Formats: sequence, C-alpha cells, structure tokens
Amino acid sequence: MHPGSCCGRKGDNVTEEKSRYIIVGGSAAGMAAAHTIRLHDWKGSVTVLSEEPDTPYFRPLIPFLVSGKKCAENMVMAGCGPYTGRDITVRIGARVESVNIAGKTVSVQGNGGLAYEKILFATGSRPYIPPEIKGTDANGVFALRTLAHARKMAQRVETSDHAVMLGGGLLNLKAAFALLERGLKVTLVVYSPEVLSQLMEPEDAFLIRKALDTAGLNIKTGCSATHVISDSTGVTGVALDDGDEMPCQMVCIGKGVRPNIEFLDGSDVRIDGGIVADRYTACNAPDTFAAGDVAVTFEPVSGERIMTALWTNAVEMGRCAGRNMAGVKTAYSGTFGILNATQVADEPFVSMGVVHTKSDDFEIYRHATETTYRKVVFNPGGTRLIGAVFIGDITNAGMYRYVIREKMPVMNIKRYIIDHTLHYGHFMTGKI
Amino acid sequence: MSQPKEIFIKTDRCLGCLSCTIACVVEHSKSKTLFGAISETPVPKSRVYVQWVEPDGKVPLVCRHCEEAPCMYACISGAISRDENGVVITDTDKCIGCWTCVMVCPYGVIGRQLEEHKAYRCDRCPDREIPACVSACPTGALVYETVDSFSGKVRKHASRELLRAERG
Repeated sequence: MHPGSCCGRKGDNVTEEKSRYIIVGGSAAGMAAAHTIRLHDWKGSVTVLSEEPDTPYFRPLIPFLVSGKKCAENMVMAGCGPYTGRDITVRIGARVESVNIAGKTVSVQGNGGLAYEKILFATGSRPYIPPEIKGTDANGVFALRTLAHARKMAQRVETSDHAVMLGGGLLNLKAAFALLERGLKVTLVVYSPEVLSQLMEPEDAFLIRKALDTAGLNIKTGCSATHVISDSTGVTGVALDDGDEMPCQMVCIGKGVRPNIEFLDGSDVRIDGGIVADRYTACNAPDTFAAGDVAVTFEPVSGERIMTALWTNAVEMGRCAGRNMAGVKTAYSGTFGILNATQVADEPFVSMGVVHTKSDDFEIYRHATETTYRKVVFNPGGTRLIGAVFIGDITNAGMYRYVIREKMPVMNIKRYIIDHTLHYGHFMTGKI
Repeated sequence: MSQPKEIFIKTDRCLGCLSCTIACVVEHSKSKTLFGAISETPVPKSRVYVQWVEPDGKVPLVCRHCEEAPCMYACISGAISRDENGVVITDTDKCIGCWTCVMVCPYGVIGRQLEEHKAYRCDRCPDREIPACVSACPTGALVYETVDSFSGKVRKHASRELLRAERG
C-alpha cells in the first residue's frame, strides 16, 4: 500500500529494515491496532505482516464466498468502517517465523529480518482438527477459516451433492447454510446433545433447532466421526462412532480453534495456552503486546482468565493495544467469553455472559412464546445480571450487555430486565 | 470545519405525542407522504423511539452517533462508517443482518428491518437542513444544535435557576 513507510539501509545478513510498529497478523486485532496507532501517532511507521495471500478482509464474511452472495473484493477491510487510517504498510504472504525479543527483530520466512520498536502479536487462531478423526488430510475436507479455504470449498461444491459438517457451532452452521444455498444436501454431526452448545443450553436452543430443521438441515446429535473415507477423487464418505456411514463428497470440520503461538517458541514471552497479556494488553517482555484470538485476557464478570475467538472482541482489544503502543496508556476492560449475535435460519439470537447455568445456584428467569425465547441469568443473590440469551426478539440487547459488563446493581430495573422491557429511558430518568 | 450539529433531547418537554416518529417514518418513505408511507412495502420504520417510563415520563431516543461508536467497531462486515459530518452511517448494501450492532449499542436505537434483513438507524436526514423529528416536535423536546450552543443554553438556564434560588 504505502511502501515508503519502512526505512533503514540494506545490509548483508543483518536486519534490513525497521518499522516503529510491527504488527504480526493482519486480521481483526492487527488491523484495528494499526488504524488506532495512526489516530495517535501519525508519522511512526506501521507495518502489518500477514501470512495470508489476501489483503486484510472481514473474515466473518467468508461463508458468503462459498454461497456466492459476495465476492472477495467486497470483503476488503481497507477503507471500510473504522479502517480508514493512511500510511499503513501491509505485507501479505509474510509469515513470521520467530521473534528475537532482546534484539527487537522479527524473522520473516524467505524475507530476512525486520526490526521494530514495538510489536503486537495478533496472529489469531486456526481450526482445531481433532487427531482422533482419521483421514482428515483427504481432498474435500475443510475447516473454513480463510478466504483461501473458502475458494477451495466453493470449488468443491461444483462436484458435490452431500456435505457432512462435523461440529454444531456457529461457524459450522454458517458454512452449512452457505452450502444449503448452493443446493447441497447438508448433514450436521454434533457430539453434544444439541447445536450451539457453547452458546446456550440444549433447552434454550429449541427454537433455533426448529428453524434449522425447517430450513432443511439434517442434524445428528450425540455422535461424532471416527474417520473420513476417501479415494482418488477425494472424500467419499464419513464413518461415525455409532456405526453409521454416510456417503458424501465434502466434510467441514468446525471443532473450535487453537491460537497461533508457535512462532514464539523459545522466546521469553509468557505463554499460558495463549499469549498472556496484562490489563494494558502488554506481554511480559518489553515493548511487546498481544491482542485478539491469540491473547489470554480476562472475563469482566468473574475476572477469570480466558481466550476468545470473536471478531468483536479482537477489534476491541486490538484498538486498546494500538493505544497503548502509541503511548496512550489504556486499560482493557476484558471480554465476555460468550458474546454472540447472529441470525441462523431466519432466527435472530444473542447470547452473552454466563449462559450455562446447570452447575451453580443462579437466579434464572425464562420466558417462551411460540416465536421467542429468553433466559436472563442473575448472580445467586439476584443483585446483578450476569448473562442473557435472547432468541427471536433481540430488542435492546446492547443495553443488557452494558448492564452485565458494568456490573450494575439491578434492584430498580430488575423487573424490566425479567420482562425484557428495559430501555435507555430508564437510565435517563434516574431509575438507576 | 464548523462544529457539527447534533440532536439533543429535553426529557422534561416531551409529551409523548409521537409527532417525531411519524415525521421520521414519512421522511424515510419513498413517497415522503404519510398516506404513501403506510401503504409501502416494506413499511418504512421510525428511527426515533419514544419510551415510556412509569409513572409519566416520556423519553425520545435516537442514535447518538457516538464518538467511540461501539457499533462501528463491532460491525463484522465493514458496513458502519462515519461521514464527514460526524454522522454514523449503516451501508445497507454491506449490512449482512448479523445484528452485532444491535448487541453492542447501549442505547438500543438500532432497529432491524426484517423484510430486508438489514439494520437501520437515524441518518440525521441527509436531505434536510433540520432532521424531520426535530422539525416536527411541537414542544421543543428535540433540538438540533452544536454541542457548544446546547451546553451554553444549559449553563445559562442553570445560572438563572441558581440566582433565583439565592434571591429566594
């Protein structure tokens, strides 16, 4: 984009270039940080290193490439929304192999070194492929994560008539609908008793399940795949642990993600599942920061350490890291482990905060109609809202998020929360 | 650049007559007339909401076009941006109806156009000098001013009240 913003002289085997800010990873957290740095430091060079072959794009849109509803050009981040900062150098196809923390350099595969003053680790995560499922290296097995994956998947659709999705999470549901729209028969194989088990309990999901069934998705719960069957044409079927075998030409794995931390092997940067970030998004080594899927942060309600893989969280944390890197010390407010809004099969839903309520003594209110369902969860004393699931009617969901996040005392507004009639007017007129 | 104007709310003046919501619907209809608006599909939606707070409070609410607009940063498709006048705009072509903006807006002023599966909000009436809701408000509960002008008037009013209290 703007190659002029890197400086330094060419050496033989020493570091050739220097950038004031290096950002490893060009997705939500990385790009949010880069553009935020630009708001506070308009001349320090900013270099984003992305290992993907595509310029940064809105990752959540990739199912639309599979369905054919959008093309890659319509997913580009640059110039859209808040991503309008200038003079940000983005290097694509630049995979960072290692970081020399003491020498403040990174080593880019096939491209030598690059020096930095401050660095952000925003390498994100990659799909988890369970090793107990055999044969996943066959042609036609996908884990939809990048535009490159989406292109291959879209291609495979041409020669497929049945796709089996392993995992009942949101990403796999999105992929499943993209394939349904392309006219494929789609079967979802879910180990849990119900779909979306990470975002709600089985009894909360009945409206969504109904909508999925109506939309024509075949769902098998309580079982998992043992191996993928393939021949020279690629995938020909999937064997399940209940003895069933399903012929198919495509398999899509949606079994969660793992953080990309290997490039820090052998460095002093503290790893605990992911890269450990403090309240100011900084890592333990000097001038190093972490944000997004790869970062270990904390949950604002419980204070527990968590990692999430959500675009919205990654942007928020990336912006905070960008501020801190540019010298504007800013505390990160933490992130809900569960914070999802979307629409599957014409059924909108929001799930946030504490929604798995089997184990503790929470105060819970549920309300169901033929077309809507909600569950609001208060702490055991009933003094604070800690979680909510809204299905069908998601009106004012953002306000409930606010009440949860700010740990507001709810005495005066509890009735409105339970009835789902809370609105901002209650705040403006001194109800709280 | 001159300071942009914003829509301010004086809750003590709102009677709950809903003139603002009707004006908003008409302004965002194709025909720009009330009779035309009610027969259009999809039915045009009001972007200003008048909420009732017991026992007798009425509060008009409309997008604040926040400085740190949570919706703009949360949007997963790059559909929300800020224009040169400071107005936060949802690009309906880019909107995929994922409702992430609805989930993060603390004011609850982003609506869902179900027929077209798109989010909508106040656009400050780009074709008008003064937003339709403000023009329509018969009691001056909605005002369209710069921050400086509005806060100046609030200060003046407060000073007057202080003096009145001092003089008994």
